[in-house]
Amino acid sequence: MKELLKKEAFFTAPKLTWIFLAFAVMALIPGYPILTGAFYICFGLFQSYQTAREANDILYTAMLPVKKTAVVRAKFAFACLIEGLAFLLSSVLTALRMTLLAHAAPYETNAMMNANVAFLGYMLLAFALFNLFFIGGFFKTAHKIGRPFLTYGIAVLLLVAVAETLHFLPGLTPLNATTFDPLQLVPFAVGAVAFPLLTVCAEKTAEKRFEKLDL
Amino acid sequence: MRDVLTVRNLTKTYPAFKLDGVSFTVAAGSITGFIGRNGAGKTTTLKSLLNLVHPDSGEVCFFGLPWAGNEETIKPRIGFASGGTDWYPRKTVGQLARQTAVFYPAWDEEAYRKYLTLFALDEGKKVRELSEGMRVKFSLLLALSHHAEFLLLDEPTSGLDPVSRDELLTVFRGLADEGVAILFSTHITSDLDKCADAITYIKNGRIVASEQKAAFIDAYGGGTLEEIMLHIEKEASL
Repeated sequence: MKELLKKEAFFTAPKLTWIFLAFAVMALIPGYPILTGAFYICFGLFQSYQTAREANDILYTAMLPVKKTAVVRAKFAFACLIEGLAFLLSSVLTALRMTLLAHAAPYETNAMMNANVAFLGYMLLAFALFNLFFIGGFFKTAHKIGRPFLTYGIAVLLLVAVAETLHFLPGLTPLNATTFDPLQLVPFAVGAVAFPLLTVCAEKTAEKRFEKLDL
Repeated sequence: MRDVLTVRNLTKTYPAFKLDGVSFTVAAGSITGFIGRNGAGKTTTLKSLLNLVHPDSGEVCFFGLPWAGNEETIKPRIGFASGGTDWYPRKTVGQLARQTAVFYPAWDEEAYRKYLTLFALDEGKKVRELSEGMRVKFSLLLALSHHAEFLLLDEPTSGLDPVSRDELLTVFRGLADEGVAILFSTHITSDLDKCADAITYIKNGRIVASEQKAAFIDAYGGGTLEEIMLHIEKEASL
């Protein structure tokens, strides 16, 4: 799996996938729906599927001396690697916003989502949706990428809309506080549970589908 | 000689075609020609052996081991080439070979260099810059560089010039003499006249013969494989 993951990261994926990690910096932008940063990071991952399809990578990998299902595991592992790095980078920037920059005027008057613990939970949810709808959907055919990405796009748009709305509801204002509030732990916990759960479910389903696919 | 491949009742149904109870064996150190008309099921059979096409039923055993549950043990011992290399067209021959090599514990750099020279392949060339024949050679280079005990080759000589084909058949004969089993499909039956030990004939998804080449030729009253193939197919259309 280590060699397959290295292949995904440095042979199959285009540099763009790595460059798009920089969208994690969107966590610092005030007055902007910063959760879309997670979407752009996933868009970078989407690019790796486009280049993989152009290169006929799935058939090449399936012919290597690995189990057929390892092809699926490697794709999920690489997505988790990118998502993990993005989450790590976002966490550092979020910590910066919640401490040193917590009382900066642009953030205190920010009508849109602030980077805080709740934001990190939403981010994990956005990644979970990508793994479920896009990668899981891709392995229904191992070549169609349009429909799975559209499905993911709609799902993440709904997530952004809900996340941007929640903190305007009575009693939920602390969700958007520039500093920590225990209420922020709720979306974080939801994201922390949903990410591994949905990813593992999507992977297991994708493995079963891919095993029976004709390449 | 022991069988390195045993196929029993392999079945795969498509809307317009059925691979119907395909059964045959391949012995160690032998070259088996896999022949039949276009669309007879040769590529589907070869891909089904490696689960690249998922069979509906049937059993495939390599080296006495069933494919199911032993995929990781079997695959490093096999070399598979299906036509020309058609992946990673923008990577160079060297880049793709190096990437492939890391997955094969038995990758032999010396053998790789030997076949690279024999096939006159340039490591710096991108796959997309290779002619169809050179892509076939590259595909074979990857299959031959890791000491595979069994080579599964789908039309390995198509697109090659007569000199390259002759060189390749000599390579195959040498490998078979060292104990490597080779199963290859081809439309160029004269290649099999030169080097095959056994013939497996598939027609409309069914195996109609699988035996030693001499016995196969005798059964049809002699002649070349092309003449026998024409006879079998014309007989069916009468």
